[in-house]
Amino acid sequence: MSRSTTTNELAKRRGYTYRLTRRQFLIASSAAALAACGPAATPSGAPATASAAATAGKPLKLGILLPFTKVYAELGNSMKRSADLYIKSKGGKFANRTVPAPIYEDEANDPQVGLQKTQKFIDQDQVDVMLGIVATPIAYAIRNVVDSAKLIFIETNAGGNALTRATTDCKPACKSKYIFRSSFTSWQISNPIGEYMASKKGVKEAFTFVSDYGFGTESQADFTAGLTKGGGKVTGTLKAPLGNNDFLPFVTQLKAQPTKDIYSFFSGTDAIGYIKAWNQLGMSAAGYKMNGAGFLTEQDVLKEVKEQAVGAITSLFWAVTLDNPENKAFTDLYQKEYNLLPDVFAVQQWDGMRAVDEALQKLGGDTSDKDRFIRALEDTSFKSPRGDFAFDKDTHNPIQDMYIREVKVVGGQAVNVISDKIARVQDPGK
Amino acid sequence: MSPELAFLQALNGISFGALLFILAAGLSLIFGMMDVVNLAHGAFYMLGAYIALSVVRTTGSFWVALVAVPLALGALGLVVEPLLLRRLRGRHLDQVLITVGVALVITDLIRLKPDWGAEVRTLPPPDALAGSIAILGNDYPVYRLFVIAFGVTLALSLAALHRRSRAGALIRAGVDDAQMLSALGVDTDRLFAVTYAIGAALAGLAGVVAAPVLGLQPGMDVEALVLSLIVVVVGGLGTLGGAQVGAALVGPADTFGKVFVPQFALFFIFAIMALVLLLRPSGLLGRIRVIR
Repeated sequence: MSRSTTTNELAKRRGYTYRLTRRQFLIASSAAALAACGPAATPSGAPATASAAATAGKPLKLGILLPFTKVYAELGNSMKRSADLYIKSKGGKFANRTVPAPIYEDEANDPQVGLQKTQKFIDQDQVDVMLGIVATPIAYAIRNVVDSAKLIFIETNAGGNALTRATTDCKPACKSKYIFRSSFTSWQISNPIGEYMASKKGVKEAFTFVSDYGFGTESQADFTAGLTKGGGKVTGTLKAPLGNNDFLPFVTQLKAQPTKDIYSFFSGTDAIGYIKAWNQLGMSAAGYKMNGAGFLTEQDVLKEVKEQAVGAITSLFWAVTLDNPENKAFTDLYQKEYNLLPDVFAVQQWDGMRAVDEALQKLGGDTSDKDRFIRALEDTSFKSPRGDFAFDKDTHNPIQDMYIREVKVVGGQAVNVISDKIARVQDPGK
Repeated sequence: MSPELAFLQALNGISFGALLFILAAGLSLIFGMMDVVNLAHGAFYMLGAYIALSVVRTTGSFWVALVAVPLALGALGLVVEPLLLRRLRGRHLDQVLITVGVALVITDLIRLKPDWGAEVRTLPPPDALAGSIAILGNDYPVYRLFVIAFGVTLALSLAALHRRSRAGALIRAGVDDAQMLSALGVDTDRLFAVTYAIGAALAGLAGVVAAPVLGLQPGMDVEALVLSLIVVVVGGLGTLGGAQVGAALVGPADTFGKVFVPQFALFFIFAIMALVLLLRPSGLLGRIRVIR
């Protein structure tokens, strides 16, 4: 005690207090805490007109919910890089609102965790806009919470059809005026290619082989409907569990059936295991053709399987090789910043950010009136790296072109080369 | 199903079974000797696979990795056992818990290392084994045949070591009565450490051999651990023969399960485990352990 008194006296002589007493500390810290609580403590139900003036010019709080652990961690990282880059490219400002670093939370690929983190965005962080979510079950799980909190949420990956459709009793989910989507529906990536194969490529018979979970099953049904509409038919179907360890038994079965055109939905590890087994069993040499939803041959898969995927035909709304000025600018910027090629997940996040930015430009930065904000988002349309981007006003799902892509070796590298385009694909949801 | 197709699927099943044996051998050895379910087994396996990835990238040789990785993991085992497990000897639950801790640390470190990280990666098989050969007029991957040969060789050499060598005799004696062994003047501390190191080395070896088939990704540790536990539980806890029988049964059963009832593919091997637990709780070749 005596030593601290002497130090204090020393400090006093030099003109400052060296050590706070406990009482001083308590007063100072509680005052600081009170000040910090201030804005949050004002009633959130204040009339819109009163807060209108207040929101323009205030920092825009973005809450972004992505997987940073478990199997989809790399998707989350890619989307975070894209979101950060978008804000940086706009000098940290959308219209007259400064955009500080978004609040990132980890959904850990778990609907329960996703729900908790969404609740945190609503209650604790009071974010202006929420974005993100990779897996469809999590998007479905948070749908009602976001809807009843009137929080504007932009889904930047999950493609489950129901999130932007009117469904009976809202099962397993349904559209909400507060929910927009900057990615796709499984219908969009699986149905048009089915019709295209049957009507343009003369494929009369196909066999489906998909990942056995909600999204895979949905893609299989959408593809079957498309192929049937084009005059073809599906001769049989096979499903492998999500995260399947050994693909050899399944591909052996594929080879034991006569239909040559195979349509598949797999992504990530499963896609790699499938393509490797396909090659090991000499499927292409035996006349079998690999077709699929675009994720089957996206960059994460291609960089591992390389030329083993050559010949695979897939459909997606983007490819890194897509030739338009926006895509060139985007891929150059992304590559310059991170020294790696962007993937489709980065594009989805980029467009989600862009949509918020464009809407804010229209509103002059005023996000206080939710209905005006929603209308501004609905009217948003722009040239995206993927081509023309616009929201369907009824469902809030993007209307976009689908590209038919074939894996080819260009300059020693296996890439998706665009061979055809299906223009303005709109999900049939109402 | 044509006989030809049945034969090919049987081959798939045997090769998966061989892979399972390679995966489970280390877990079985440590449990038999030390009565500890080494839940760090999956993390050791994962670490082995990632070290193999780095070794193959720098040296370009799969075979160097096949030798270097077990040595590295063995060395890690030699550190972990005396440092963490020894002071908890006799407190089985605490020992199991600390292996969970070791697993968490290892998997997080792997995630943080930039060139390992959270992305999905593959380890290409060595060039000599990368192709396919014709079996009954069908292409079949050579690497899978290598896995069968490797699994059988490993099983035979482990069995020989176990039954014929002095180290094997000590381990068998340790399994039966470690206290008596100690009283006879054997340094059981060293024996435990060496056993744990061999178990870790086997996990690393499994990482190298399995990586070209199962791939490298976050979560591979848990997948490997679960598969090994199933094999060990079905075959019988703590005996090498148990791991062999378990793998020989679960591998083909999983493959034919996928072929005949694909909608239950994921659940099939768990059903086998549940059935075995119901009928023979100690596993098919398990020994009933007397609680002393």
